[in-house]
Amino acid sequence: MSLLGLDTSTAAAAACVLRDDGEVFEVAPDAAALTRPPAHAGQLMPAVADVMRRAGLDWSELEAIAVGVGPGSFTGLRIGIATARALAVASGLRLRPVSSLAALARGIEETDPGSVVLPLIDAKRGEVFAAAYDGGEKLWAPFAARPEKVAERVRGADFTPLAAGDGSIRFRGVLETAGIRVAPDNSGAHVVRALDVCRLAAAAPGEPPEAVLPEYLRAPDAKPQ
Amino acid sequence: MANGAGTRHRVILALETSCDDTCAAVVTNVGRIRSNVIASQGLLHARYGGVVPEIASRHHLELIDAVTRDALERAGAGFDEIETVAVTRGPGLIGALLVGLSSAKALAAVRRLPLVPVDHLHGHVVAGTLGPEPIDPPYLALIASGGHTFLARVDDPAAYTVLGQTLDDAAGEAFDKGARLLGLGYPGGPAIDRLARDGDPNAFDFPRSAPGELDFSFSGLKTALLYTLRDLGDHEAGTRQADIAASYQRAIVEALTRRTAEALEREGLERLAIGGGVAANSELRTAVRGLGVRVWAPPLELCTDNAAMIAGAARFLEPLAYPDYLGLDAAARHSA
Ligand SMILES: [Zn+2]
Repeated sequence: MSLLGLDTSTAAAAACVLRDDGEVFEVAPDAAALTRPPAHAGQLMPAVADVMRRAGLDWSELEAIAVGVGPGSFTGLRIGIATARALAVASGLRLRPVSSLAALARGIEETDPGSVVLPLIDAKRGEVFAAAYDGGEKLWAPFAARPEKVAERVRGADFTPLAAGDGSIRFRGVLETAGIRVAPDNSGAHVVRALDVCRLAAAAPGEPPEAVLPEYLRAPDAKPQ
Repeated sequence: MANGAGTRHRVILALETSCDDTCAAVVTNVGRIRSNVIASQGLLHARYGGVVPEIASRHHLELIDAVTRDALERAGAGFDEIETVAVTRGPGLIGALLVGLSSAKALAAVRRLPLVPVDHLHGHVVAGTLGPEPIDPPYLALIASGGHTFLARVDDPAAYTVLGQTLDDAAGEAFDKGARLLGLGYPGGPAIDRLARDGDPNAFDFPRSAPGELDFSFSGLKTALLYTLRDLGDHEAGTRQADIAASYQRAIVEALTRRTAEALEREGLERLAIGGGVAANSELRTAVRGLGVRVWAPPLELCTDNAAMIAGAARFLEPLAYPDYLGLDAAARHSA
């Protein structure tokens, strides 16, 4: 059956329908979208409507909706998850949460099969959300840290990973100095693709929509307005 | 109007998440409230002495679907009965607004329903048009809460004209800040209101500033309170707490009431609607009843932030058809 997937963990808004016949209908942002101001509210639903229309599907023909739950931009994640949850509630579907870092890793692996990959999502305040994957297998659980800390951890490991994601673009200098390979700035590997969210969700169990929440990995700033 | 059986109206589902209350409501297109669910986060923010935007946004996301479902269940309405989805677009906390807006857009899009983006302040202004005895224009609205304090003229419920507003703190903020200085809880309005009942409102002389023609200013008030407390010292400030609270409250209520009287006079209006959380204040309710005009003071759940008032305003506005609203963004600041 067909899946709709979306991701808003970075400044870009991504959506994709993976139809049951294997056809892909995707809005895949380019790497430049990662450094533009985020516009999830303006872009996400038009992208969703676009991929649904191109796939020629009605909501009742979907098997489930998949959503990247981060870690990443807090506001972006909330827009993506609030949207995915309401779409699922209104169409009576279940939701399949997927790690945005895992989806990013899947895209990086495709550009360089066989190597350990280091998906890095900009966490603001001088930090990145990071994880490490090898052939789809998680080596490091997602964490938030300064890029120097990530570099240190790589030095202590026995692999030379390929890093990508908006966090790797921002901290290219620190990472490359530590011997980490970083994909070229304009590489599509930096973008969390909704197609990869769909692919990872294909085998994942569905959850009731309202049980799905962002993976924040960081406590809120407790400053009153 | 599409109401097949003659008694059954199709309904507006409204969502409101502009500050720290997660709200959903079902209202008929003639203004009958079928449900009005408010999940307040008030106590969560109490220890910070104010609303923490990131915490508010996180809780909105946790609650929004359950609150929406609850509103539909209490109304005995299914998705099929919804004719229009309404949602607060702003002003408010941007991250909080985006939760409700994203949810509303997606709910509407699945069924290709029209969507009405609503100005939160417009909701407050027309809250009195809901319920069994609605207010009819022309009228004056006094809206005072922790986030806003303004006077508006309403000639047609589709719009409103702001006549005056606070230039600094909102009236509810003055209550909250005053309560904090007095060592009372958050939110401060109810705490001061309670304590003031046992105090002498003329014991202390706090300033009533009246800037511009019909504007308000409350920031000087908390400074005056701070100095008063300092002058009294801990012991005396403690024993005279009720007098201080009563005098402080009197200053806020008088500032609001005086401006309201001036606006009614200047505009030649004979009806007054009050709204916002401060409209729950017992002294304010009594004071505006002495103004010689007919007063609409809605029940508390229509004064504080709620989604019924958003549906209420939506009734008077032109909806956006599918797919025109898909790219709609929230607006943290007021554009009027
Ligand atoms: Zn309000």
